[in-house]
Amino acid sequence: MWLLGATLALALIGLAMIYSATACITNEPLDFSSPTIRQFLYLIAGVVAMFLFALVDFRILGPMRWLIWLFVIASLATVFAIGQITHGAQRWIDFGVFLFQPSELSKLLLVIVLAKYMADHAAQMSRWRYLAISFGFIAIPLALVYLQPDLGTTIVLAATWGVMALAAGIKARDVLMIAALLVVLAPLAWINLRPYQQERVLSFLDPGRDPLGTGYNVQQARIAIGSGGLWGSGYCSGTQSQLRFLRIRQTDFIFSVIGEELGFVGSLFVLGLIAFVLWRLVRAAMLARNAFGKLIAVGVAAGMFVQSVINLAMNMGLMPVTGIPLPFVSYGGSSLISLFAAQGVVQSILLRHGGLELEGASREYE
Amino acid sequence: MNDLEQEYSLTRRVVAEQEKPRSNFRLFRLGIVAAFVVLAFQLAQLQLVQGEYYRGVADQNRFRLIETDALRGIIYDRGGRILTRNVPAFNVSITPADLPDGDFDLERVLQTLARLLDLPLATLIENKSLDVMGRLPADLDRDVARPQRKLGLRDLVKTGYSDPFTPILIKTNVPRDIAFFLEEKHLDFPGVRVGLAPVREYTTGALFSHILGYVGHIPRELFDEYKEVGYAPDDPVGLTGLEYAFERDLRGKKGTRYVSVDVAGREVARLGEEDPTLGNNLILTLDSEFQDAVENILTRAMRGVRAKQGVAIALDPRNGEILALVSLPSYDNNLFATGISMDDYTALAQDPAHPLVNLAITGQYPPGSTFKLIPATAALQEKTINPDTRISTPGIILIPNKYFPDDRALDQPFYDWYKPGFGALNIREGLLFSSDVFFYKLAGGYTDFDTGLGVEKLAQYARWFGLGETTGIDLSGEAKGLVPDSDWKRKTIGDIWTTGDTYNMAIGQGYVLATPLQVAQYTEVVANGGKLWKPQLALAVTDANGALVRKIDPELIREIPVDASALAIVREGMRLAATRGTAERVNLADVNVAAKTGTAEYYGPKINGHLPTHAWFTAFAPYENPQIVVTVFVAGGGEGSEVAGPVAADILRAYFRLPSTAPLAALPQPIAPPVTVRQPPTRGVAPHKYAGQWLSEVPGGELPGIFGTVVDANGRGVNGVHVVADKCDGNQIFREITDGNGAFNFKGVYWKDSARWCVRTVAPADSDALAIQVQPYRRYIVQFVPTQ
Repeated sequence: MWLLGATLALALIGLAMIYSATACITNEPLDFSSPTIRQFLYLIAGVVAMFLFALVDFRILGPMRWLIWLFVIASLATVFAIGQITHGAQRWIDFGVFLFQPSELSKLLLVIVLAKYMADHAAQMSRWRYLAISFGFIAIPLALVYLQPDLGTTIVLAATWGVMALAAGIKARDVLMIAALLVVLAPLAWINLRPYQQERVLSFLDPGRDPLGTGYNVQQARIAIGSGGLWGSGYCSGTQSQLRFLRIRQTDFIFSVIGEELGFVGSLFVLGLIAFVLWRLVRAAMLARNAFGKLIAVGVAAGMFVQSVINLAMNMGLMPVTGIPLPFVSYGGSSLISLFAAQGVVQSILLRHGGLELEGASREYE
Repeated sequence: MNDLEQEYSLTRRVVAEQEKPRSNFRLFRLGIVAAFVVLAFQLAQLQLVQGEYYRGVADQNRFRLIETDALRGIIYDRGGRILTRNVPAFNVSITPADLPDGDFDLERVLQTLARLLDLPLATLIENKSLDVMGRLPADLDRDVARPQRKLGLRDLVKTGYSDPFTPILIKTNVPRDIAFFLEEKHLDFPGVRVGLAPVREYTTGALFSHILGYVGHIPRELFDEYKEVGYAPDDPVGLTGLEYAFERDLRGKKGTRYVSVDVAGREVARLGEEDPTLGNNLILTLDSEFQDAVENILTRAMRGVRAKQGVAIALDPRNGEILALVSLPSYDNNLFATGISMDDYTALAQDPAHPLVNLAITGQYPPGSTFKLIPATAALQEKTINPDTRISTPGIILIPNKYFPDDRALDQPFYDWYKPGFGALNIREGLLFSSDVFFYKLAGGYTDFDTGLGVEKLAQYARWFGLGETTGIDLSGEAKGLVPDSDWKRKTIGDIWTTGDTYNMAIGQGYVLATPLQVAQYTEVVANGGKLWKPQLALAVTDANGALVRKIDPELIREIPVDASALAIVREGMRLAATRGTAERVNLADVNVAAKTGTAEYYGPKINGHLPTHAWFTAFAPYENPQIVVTVFVAGGGEGSEVAGPVAADILRAYFRLPSTAPLAALPQPIAPPVTVRQPPTRGVAPHKYAGQWLSEVPGGELPGIFGTVVDANGRGVNGVHVVADKCDGNQIFREITDGNGAFNFKGVYWKDSARWCVRTVAPADSDALAIQVQPYRRYIVQFVPTQ
């Protein structure tokens, strides 16, 4: 219940801030095309999805892993074929009323696939061969997402795999070796980055470089958060957000709106909520009696952790702009619904093998 | 059950391996804690430590000191009629910061804009080396502003990156439907803004464009200068004409607004405001109705002789106020005010008639006989002659070749325009007939008149009369004209000055050059008794409410050191020319006019073996107290008296509000009807075979003509009869031989020399002399019939 409460709180704060970021000063009537209403509907859909997944025994997902994996590959490939092009990237499939972003759902689905494999080979996971095979599961999706191009999601997926492998029992020495390998490969990766991605990294290192390009967003986000001060400028009253100096503010830079309008107090509260959710997810993983469930919970936690940290660090100017949403808070249906579905799976894990104090009914069932 | 057991054993295995993962979990948890501590620390750093600083930056983002444009002043004619005003027009600007983020979306917006607004996407290569001005003064280039190199939209956006919140004006004068379309679809065009800003409208278009000039964008190469005095890149600025000359008055003073803006620069709240000061208005000395009338008159006359270029100037000799100034062809300055297209500009700039050039002040031409006013004044003042000195004016004089002075066969002839010559003339008559030989001798001396004025004196007076210097009119690009002297010739041509040069200069030919405005100016000096005024176009500057800010007083350039009596005699000469001489076509019945014609040869394709000529006519009226000077110039217009004279007459009619049919003064009536004089028969000559008859009198050219036929008893023309004309004193002056129709004609007899002319046949049979009382502009038709 704590977990559910915290995620709902985050989502509601997100909803309020999306309203502030998009609708406060326009005074236009809210309709089905306005982000606030849409996000509200996504929230309802997400909660429904959460309950559905919570009710279903998560273990039936295990045997379906090949199906799930093929679905991920297929949906990501579909994006290439008929995807919607926005902001120079191809990330969406248009369903008429809804632009579906397969990479968001993939985060959950790949966690399930990986968890199944790692759970099945829990004893061997410390061996290189099995580690490599587990990476093989995400290699193709990773490549497809990277080519969209969506560097943020790529990083999130790779990091999720890393954390799950860690949780599955690889040695700390191996982790260090992988890290060393990454350092060696970094220059190679740099060469392979798209010009705009390189530009983002560079403008992060020197925001004055290109004030209108990506450096502009970094700069304005930092100004927005900083100008919030202790108490913030008040809901719907942030000049950076309301006068639209801050861009893509309802999605990637929603935290800057929070920082500006709710101040240090509000931002810290949101930060705390996210940390709390993560904490509860890790706790759920530790409590899980089943390796499959445990690894799913770890994967969900890892994905959310990496995504949150990248987004928050980006908002605060600690990392380059990569274009990923803040979990539960940012505007976006695919993301929100997938996240709630993931919560549903975790709930399912807790319900069935949890032994959590608040899941009394399920314990009786056990 | 089996399932559960299997599951259980699996779980046990996992639990057995729990030890290692547990430590790894700790690592993960540690990672989470560490990350969030770092984030919280950074949050505190930004919001608590640097909060003040970022608050300031945010304020800088949204508070803006915005300049508000002042409406440009209005220009009125002297009757208070509006000549130019400000009308609202749509413009489109883009704010780089608010344009779509992605390259793809940006390109879509730019492409659509380029199509809608007809703007280039890529930067065009500058269209250089337009040979606009031909041989006109080089400094004119500066004034006829070329269209700027058009930056393509893509590059334009890039130029805005340094200041992404400042909107960049990309198009002015956007058609209404396109403006509405963009406004309606503004959601599809983020960062694109439709604005409403005044543009200059010239209600009179081409009629005043040479005077008013036009307003445009600051030329790129001059931007730094303008920036220093507070201009912004998109500010309109007067580029030529009075718009340029009175820029400071017309511009007004910008206001400022302290506002809060959104990212697109849209004003959200107004925090403080200082209103702009409207530009001052300008009231001209010109009258648009009169200007219009002058233009119509000149246009009609030019069409009659197929002339391409012409100028008419009317000014007030009492103070130098310009009353009308027309230079044809002209152009529509509205084209420039709204941003001229390269095609339109090229067409105007390459037009051989130079419509962009104000010929009244930049065209330099030989002034022809109108120049004679200057040697006439100079000679009287310098006592080269007194008012009654008579100089003989044969139709031709010869001066020795400068290299072979002794070889009379190589003598250089100088002709009068009237080959028979005028006899001995005084200065008034010299002006009346515009005798060239009179002025040759007056200026350069001759064997029978060795006290010529000399080139240095002549040049000195020409300069006093305003030649060789700009008049200082409030229009730029003015030419100086040229006053040659021996020093000048040695330096520029490398040759010595000859008497022939002085002769040519005396009749306004040779090296001497003047602009039409300068001709009007020296006419003014003669008319007003010696004052050279600066030509004045503006009467006063008023503020937006019409209150007088500054009266523009007449400015005296100089008072010419000439006795009033000398100028009075020159005026008399001009009056005579208008009443009885070369300038008769301007002799209005209702107003006494004084005038001088000019027919200036120039080097061009010959017509009937003669050099082509520019027609000049300069006049003032009323003769007794001059109020107006009118100078007319028609390039390639032929005879000044024939083409330019009637134009001046019509302009004077318009000025004095006489009907266009107002008659010329009646010609003096014949003193007596023509009579036949029987001459004493000469010794040993056969009886007279023919008798002359006066048939009729018809209108003719300036010089009276005697036309006739010699017929036989049956009324058929007789070929080969010699007919002579004399002044009834028996000294034959003209001789003609009848053609196959028996016709002869004495096209011009000099009526001033003698009012009575006698015509008679001399061979093969003679007749009694037929005496005819002649008058100018009359043609007398006679017939000789056999006496039997």
